Amino acid sequence: MSSTGVRRISLGRAIPLILVGVAVLVTAAILLNRRVAQAAPDQPIAFNHRTHADAGIQCLFCHPNAMRSDVAGIPSVQRCVGCHQTIASSSARIKTVLSYWERSEPIPWAPVTQMADFVFFSHQPHLSAGVNCETCHGVVGKMSVVRPVVTMDMGWCLDCHLKQPEPKVARLTDCLACHK
Amino acid sequence: MTHTVSRRSFLKIAAGTGVAAGLNPTVRRVALEPFVRPPEEELPGKATWYASTCRQCPAGCGIIVRVINGRARKIEGNPGHPLNRGKLCARGQAGLQVLYNPDRLQNAVRQTGGRGSRHFEPLQWDEVLDQLASSLRGVGGGSEVAFLGGLMPTHLYPLVTRFLEALGSPAPVLFDLHSAMEGRTQSHDLTQRWFGSMELPIYDIGHAEVIFSFGANFLETWLSPVSQSYDYGTMRQGQSGGRGFLVQFEPRLSGTGASADQWVPVQPGTQGLIALGLGRIIVEENLGRVGSHREHAQLYRDVNVGAVADASGLPVERLQKLARIFADADRSVALPGGGLSSHTNASQSMDAVMALNVIMRRLGRVGGVFLPQQVPADAFSAPISPSPFRDLGKLVQNMRSGRVGVLMIYGANPVYELPRWSGFIDALTNVPLVVSFCPFIDETAVQADYVLPDHTYLEGWGYQVCSPGADRPVVSSQQPAVRPLYDTRSTAEVLLSLASRLGGALAQALPWPDEPTYLEEASAQLFGSSIGVFDARTEAGFWSQWRQVGGWWSAKPIMQEPELAGLTEGPLQVPSASFAGKPDQFPYYLMPYESIALSDGRGASQPWLQETPDPMTTASWNTWVELNPETAAHLGVTDNDIVRVVSPQGALEAPVVVYPGIRPDVIAIPTGQGHQDYGRFAAARGANVMDLISPVPEQEVSLLAWGATRVRVEAVHKVMTLARLESLDGEGRETVR
Repeated sequence: MSSTGVRRISLGRAIPLILVGVAVLVTAAILLNRRVAQAAPDQPIAFNHRTHADAGIQCLFCHPNAMRSDVAGIPSVQRCVGCHQTIASSSARIKTVLSYWERSEPIPWAPVTQMADFVFFSHQPHLSAGVNCETCHGVVGKMSVVRPVVTMDMGWCLDCHLKQPEPKVARLTDCLACHK
Repeated sequence: MTHTVSRRSFLKIAAGTGVAAGLNPTVRRVALEPFVRPPEEELPGKATWYASTCRQCPAGCGIIVRVINGRARKIEGNPGHPLNRGKLCARGQAGLQVLYNPDRLQNAVRQTGGRGSRHFEPLQWDEVLDQLASSLRGVGGGSEVAFLGGLMPTHLYPLVTRFLEALGSPAPVLFDLHSAMEGRTQSHDLTQRWFGSMELPIYDIGHAEVIFSFGANFLETWLSPVSQSYDYGTMRQGQSGGRGFLVQFEPRLSGTGASADQWVPVQPGTQGLIALGLGRIIVEENLGRVGSHREHAQLYRDVNVGAVADASGLPVERLQKLARIFADADRSVALPGGGLSSHTNASQSMDAVMALNVIMRRLGRVGGVFLPQQVPADAFSAPISPSPFRDLGKLVQNMRSGRVGVLMIYGANPVYELPRWSGFIDALTNVPLVVSFCPFIDETAVQADYVLPDHTYLEGWGYQVCSPGADRPVVSSQQPAVRPLYDTRSTAEVLLSLASRLGGALAQALPWPDEPTYLEEASAQLFGSSIGVFDARTEAGFWSQWRQVGGWWSAKPIMQEPELAGLTEGPLQVPSASFAGKPDQFPYYLMPYESIALSDGRGASQPWLQETPDPMTTASWNTWVELNPETAAHLGVTDNDIVRVVSPQGALEAPVVVYPGIRPDVIAIPTGQGHQDYGRFAAARGANVMDLISPVPEQEVSLLAWGATRVRVEAVHKVMTLARLESLDGEGRETVR
């Protein structure tokens, strides 16, 4: 056997090794997944949140639906063009925005923050309860390229829901609060 | 155990697993597309519901469409609509697949490789309209424009007739297989003969105590199935005192038959005779509590109950029992259904059925027969009736002789729906220019020079005067729930643009700048009506309510009592139905029946409808031949065995469904499959039963006798497993390619 240079391992002894290997791989995959989930996605236009925040524009100016709807919404092309027809209209990036407007085409933004399908999340009650945008999205106003800062898993949701005033906790930790 | 794994192999496996894990997609790739110009009423993330009208069949049910972020997501019945009262059928639900169908035409096209080449070249709308306008200028002096439509939306019909009139061309010919199979033309004729009205009668199913349905598949396909199903529920749940009783007379057990208390499997073509026999018994024995039948005696002077029993195969005692059931009820009604229109004795049979309502004095009575109250405005008052079959024959003649210079086809698929002997396809070659308005490339569009795709109904405007209506006058409005997905254009807009291009009398006849203006003007005719469910202070306010509510209808039920205008004098007669094919060569009656999901074939492009199992056989995705177990045993075939069905006109092959709910001397085949074109879900699937329909030598020309063909059945010793819900293991299930 040894003359061939191959050492035989019996299957019985290999099983724990395989299990360990699989466990390592699964852990690696989860970590990798998190990394990818927390990376900034490629956007069709290199939009800079920081520039806009520095100019004194409030979050709700471009994402007004957060106050009244489930989703905060991506601003319409019309909203972009409203300012950029006159502001910085000669820059290359803004020209791309204007070209979408001229073609009457939506800009295919890549979502930065993604909530799982099975969660019935709504922005409106969170804003009504006084939660800041930054609590979940990070200080977007200081980011040139926005990336997700928290992993929106159930533990993270519950962390916050459990810290709410005592009378609200029972309702906020009910399964049906988020899963219908 | 000596199973061993070398370290090298182990490492290989581990590396392989790692690569596989790495290849696993980690993030869903989605794009968030914002509105370019956000509509005022849209709040992203929240649903907006638009009230509109279903166009999957001509009934005109009210729908509400759930729209999120500018995309239609779900269709439901409009709860305020008096016709369907919040309900919607499977076909209505599948409407989203018309909108999002991958085989829709995305722009106007010209068939550059010649008709049938399926080589289409995209065209700009302006270009098409200019070309079409110049062709229309050349029309006149011996040549004319012909328009062939299905039962088109009621808002489009006046535009088309004005358009043709101004061009000096004859009125549009309306033909589609669905209307033919529900006997719409014959139903219009029936009220014309009896009550002097061109409206379709309303049968008050909801309040009836006993219903005798003669070939009326009113829970599945006949006239207004959603509304009728709702009423049937009311009748069965005894909401008007006692559980209602339904007797269904038809050779094949339909879904309606299956819901009935009694199914009478009559010999094809004898339903009218049975109605006559029942009437004779009622009059002769003075049955019922409606007073004397003396005045009706002459109607049944020539009827011999014994002869009826012989011809129909129903014993006299059975007929007497049935007559008592019908006559003893306080609120009985007889329905002359679409099945009657399949035979050469259609009109006489329908007369015989209507006579039952007359002798029981059911006209204008609760649970009886009514006429609709007209919508009180000119724009909505004239009912549209499909043309008699002879008009189609005339059109074919004109096409053949070269009189037709331009043929426009809207909402109909005659190349697929008409039997070959009608001569339509051959005559088409003599027409210099053929234009189709179909949003898909169907069999007829393949024979056209231009296809100018209309919007689908969730993108377009319109209205539908519901006929047969509910218990009140109803106009159901249609509005775009979403922006058109593609560069399509509504047919009304095309006609209006052609009129403004051609100018003169045509521009005067069609003066509207666009379709919504035309509709707003029409709706304004109802502004200020005292009976409406809503009113407004201004016309603009009325127009916005019109769209919001989903149309206009009266606040309270109003129906008319039919007044007898004729036919009560002479004796009634039902001649025996004639059939094509000699009984010794073709021993079975062929009974085509309308598929509940695919209708006359127009639903075949929608996979949800293809997937919908037929309620009686649970088969889907194909054509099948229904045989009685006795017949199947005689032929030596069983489920899934392919048989060849041969008629004097043609032949088709399809697998067998052994079905106890059919007479042994009848074989039934559903409509809707056997498309050559019409998109990936429809094409090359099953067989078209219309290929078998033969002309009946002595037939009345006003009728396509679609149930008057005899056939023979041959085993071909091949097997094809049908996708049936019953085979719970899912074996043989044919999935989408």
